[in-house]
Amino acid sequence: MSQRRVAITGLGLISPYGGDLPDFFAQLLAGESAIHFLRTEDIPRPLTIPFVSCPNFDVDGILGRPLASTMDRFAQLGTAAAFAAWADAGLTRGQPAESRENWGVAWGTALGGTLAYEKGYRELWQKGRERVSPLSVILGMNNAANAHISIQLGLGGVSMSHTVACASSAIAIGEAFRRVRSGEAPVMLTGGSDAPQAYGVARAWEALRVMATGDETTSPQACRPFSADRNGLVLGEGGAALVLEDWDHAVARGATIHAEMVGYGTSCDHSHLVRPEAAGQERALKAALADGGLCIEDIDYVNAHGTATAEGDPVEVAALKLVFGEQASRLAVSATKSMHGHQLGAAGAIEAIVTIMALREQALPPTAHLQEIEPACCGVDHVTSARRDVPVRAALSNSFAFGGSNAVLAFRAVAR
Amino acid sequence: MTRTMESLGLIREFLQDRLGVAPDLVVSDAQLDTLGVDSLMMLELMFEFEDRFGITLSKDLNTPKTVGEMVALMDQLRSEQS
Repeated sequence: MSQRRVAITGLGLISPYGGDLPDFFAQLLAGESAIHFLRTEDIPRPLTIPFVSCPNFDVDGILGRPLASTMDRFAQLGTAAAFAAWADAGLTRGQPAESRENWGVAWGTALGGTLAYEKGYRELWQKGRERVSPLSVILGMNNAANAHISIQLGLGGVSMSHTVACASSAIAIGEAFRRVRSGEAPVMLTGGSDAPQAYGVARAWEALRVMATGDETTSPQACRPFSADRNGLVLGEGGAALVLEDWDHAVARGATIHAEMVGYGTSCDHSHLVRPEAAGQERALKAALADGGLCIEDIDYVNAHGTATAEGDPVEVAALKLVFGEQASRLAVSATKSMHGHQLGAAGAIEAIVTIMALREQALPPTAHLQEIEPACCGVDHVTSARRDVPVRAALSNSFAFGGSNAVLAFRAVAR
Repeated sequence: MTRTMESLGLIREFLQDRLGVAPDLVVSDAQLDTLGVDSLMMLELMFEFEDRFGITLSKDLNTPKTVGEMVALMDQLRSEQS
């Protein structure tokens, strides 16, 4: 079967700024941070961390109370994002005119329904109860989001979840891309969601000593990728979704095409669980370029994984320099986690959307709060000021996970 | 408050909280599935019932179809186990 072109016809996310997708991207272009100081009511020691929330997320309004009651927060965020992407693609949730028996869902989540599990543990061990809610299993299971999405959108093809730490949704998007390109599915709904504010999860990340610190005043600037004074990542909750569609199918129904997805590369460092390797990332970058029929001269922007950890940022820049060589110095790079935080299993999808919006709007968002670049992170063209208006023909989105799994997505702009 | 009113109150409270059902719709002859109580929500409602009244339901109970049948079941079990 000949390879199909893959159109991106739907984008949706639950914005930490509280608005819609255009507002989300405008906030990023302006360098505005969504990071705030979170103080929980946990006893005896509340969480006091910089965090990114979705405070205006109207769960009942979007999903309805009965449906929302059967979901953990991660599935609520994911399903709502999927509804937004579906609507953006101009697709209906009612009885469709054509069969959707081979349309599918590929979803990413690093944590699944952790809040539901944690609630159960509290009941058992903190309150001394002998049993937990009968809904605990279906709330907690990692495939809850994709299952709900398939049911709600009436999609009868593959429905799968990918759990690959911080690369979860990038890999979900890549696997969805392959299914559309091969002709197996004309439409795939893909993306990711996570809600890492569970007490135990946040404490576990603290124990790794990779979390940024901050208070009410300093939290908005707490995440400073590539900066000489960076001090770690900032967790956040979120959900983001994309509709990938067979190009001819999209054109035939008159859909708006935001961008073309052309390549997907993945690799494993196969060396260490948490220490990234430039050679592994280099392989994923080269694989994505080759898969997309792209050369390094075609790439005008890279949305970096850029978590602001001591280990990760220099290795990512080293990998880019290995791949782009002399072209690296003109390669525009930014890490938007500096503003929207790190949504773990949703991060790849959020950043894929940022990359597609950059192609669509021909404007690059910055790495916020980047005053002095760490010497080991120099050698690429860091976008440090708000909104850079430049031609963007093709772009990459990097996601590099604990465990050494790497994923790179490649997109091309379309004439508008 | 009578036992029956307590049982009906619990069902109304549960359905409003979990499914957003207005209490005045939760009347004796209302079908539970029409109100949105599927098999999962029935498990959750039974769990809530056991919790609230400190009783244990056997696994082979006939599943009630209406609010009235649910109330009657609750009353009967509470009477037997009190």
